[in-house]
Amino acid sequence: MAISRRKFLGSLGAAIGATTTGSLTKAYGAANKHFNGYPGSSGVLHDTTLCIGCRKCEQACNTVNDLPQPEKPFDDLSILDKNRRTQADAFTVVNQFGADEKVFVKKQCNHCLEPACASACFVKALKKTPEGPVVYDASLCVGCRYCMVACPFEIPAYEYDNVLTPKVTKCTLCAPRLKEGKLPGCVEVCPREALIFGEREALIKIARSRIQKHPDQYVDHVYGEHEMGGTSWLYLSGKPFETIGMREDLGTISAPELTSGPLSAVPIVVGLWPVLLTGVYAISKRKDKIAKEEKEDALQAASVQANEEMNQKIEVLREKMTKEKTAAINFEVKKALEEAEKGKQEE
Amino acid sequence: MIKKIIFFVGLATLTTALCMADVWKAPDQEKAKERAKEVVSFIKEYKDDHKIARKISLMDAGISLKDVQDVYFLMDSPIIKDREDHYGPVRFSHKRHANLTNDCSKCHHYRPKDKAASETTRCSACHQDSFNPDHPERIGLKAAYHQQCIECHQEQAKGPVDCKGCHLQNVPDHKELVKLPDNPDAFQVTAECLRCHDTQAEDMLTTAHWLWKGPSPYTTGHRKDIMHGKGSTALNNY
Repeated sequence: MAISRRKFLGSLGAAIGATTTGSLTKAYGAANKHFNGYPGSSGVLHDTTLCIGCRKCEQACNTVNDLPQPEKPFDDLSILDKNRRTQADAFTVVNQFGADEKVFVKKQCNHCLEPACASACFVKALKKTPEGPVVYDASLCVGCRYCMVACPFEIPAYEYDNVLTPKVTKCTLCAPRLKEGKLPGCVEVCPREALIFGEREALIKIARSRIQKHPDQYVDHVYGEHEMGGTSWLYLSGKPFETIGMREDLGTISAPELTSGPLSAVPIVVGLWPVLLTGVYAISKRKDKIAKEEKEDALQAASVQANEEMNQKIEVLREKMTKEKTAAINFEVKKALEEAEKGKQEE
Repeated sequence: MIKKIIFFVGLATLTTALCMADVWKAPDQEKAKERAKEVVSFIKEYKDDHKIARKISLMDAGISLKDVQDVYFLMDSPIIKDREDHYGPVRFSHKRHANLTNDCSKCHHYRPKDKAASETTRCSACHQDSFNPDHPERIGLKAAYHQQCIECHQEQAKGPVDCKGCHLQNVPDHKELVKLPDNPDAFQVTAECLRCHDTQAEDMLTTAHWLWKGPSPYTTGHRKDIMHGKGSTALNNY
């Protein structure tokens, strides 16, 4: 079967097209579909308008996680004057905002639906479970602390004081307690239900109905519904979220989704670069080789020429010497003959 | 003599009577304790009245301060105790609060949908365990108490809003907390108490136990002095 040039080029183009589009869809597969979280996963709704800053949640967290006792007792509320972040020995902290009308906001791991920490972790020590919690496996952790850098909420902490077996620490959403059918420690102890535990979907509905019922009391936004692709912890507030220490610049795209585009280029880069670089290397190597060969040739030619010249010179010299020698011999012979003739004459 | 005999006989009878009978208990406190143990059946549906409509319907029903029979309740329930038990129950003076607010609808904010039910029901009839998926908008009993009390106290700028303002904290088991050597001396014991109770120590320094002084008519050599005591001349060393 004869293939025309046109047909050959056409099929080649089609083949290339198919492979590229195929690989592209594959690479962007994760980003194409928006992930709305595992169905039926649990979460917590924090209604900051109900929080009175009693720090009972901090105390309960300390108890259920067997953390060391803090320097100042939990009923010392003067600690609220300072803005705090989560620590290796405090998985949750309550912060106070506003001068006249005080707003209290509990801070802990938000348990993102698509966690930045888990996507940054290259040993899968952090994992989002279908039940809701983002859990940490210390046995896998290598202590790189990429998760701490990746987290947009500045949550994971590190046991810097623990020399031999330091761990990354953060709120577990009381995953072990949830398995036992109990509530998270903080939620259970909260006196005013400023923390509501339930299915995330149901919590969003509660939050919406509260906003609808009391539009004057709430900002019309459920923080965490879409932030960073959605989080298992949701927040309601009476004040703009920015003023109560919550970032509003995070956007609604999850961290893995943001990075999946550039990261999808990795296989191409990894596949292409060696070939390209080897090619470049081979070409430059070949160039070097040719240059070397040329040089050698030139050298050889030069040496051959020099040899010839030398030979010629030697030849000239030799001829000259032969001439001189013959002349000398002739002279000597002549001299001897003359002397012999002279002797004859004398006799 | 006869008087003396009668007195002694009377005294003996009284002592026996006291020994025989149980220790006296306040009847209303016992009643409150019993009431706090009860769990009534859950009211699923309530009549969603507006605040003003609710006030009017309570007035129409002829409910007034006279109907308040119980002086106080203990705000406690197995519903709360099942989950946690860090504080003692609050003694809520029902009558006093009713008198102060003079508005039953402040707390009795809704009524059951069932027309046969009483106009005012107890909190725990509607508010029971937290986070009931069938009634997601209904807050639990503990939260209902706290939200109701604290909100009103803040609004009125009256009444406590902190934990210990209403509750007695459950005393932790001191057997585990106190760490003393065998046969400790008095100083060691005091020091161990002060390890945690530094506020109480500060308070103690402002009391008469630490600052007493006055006449000392029975102290030989100082019968006429009037200013001796720990607060002036005596040594304060624990």
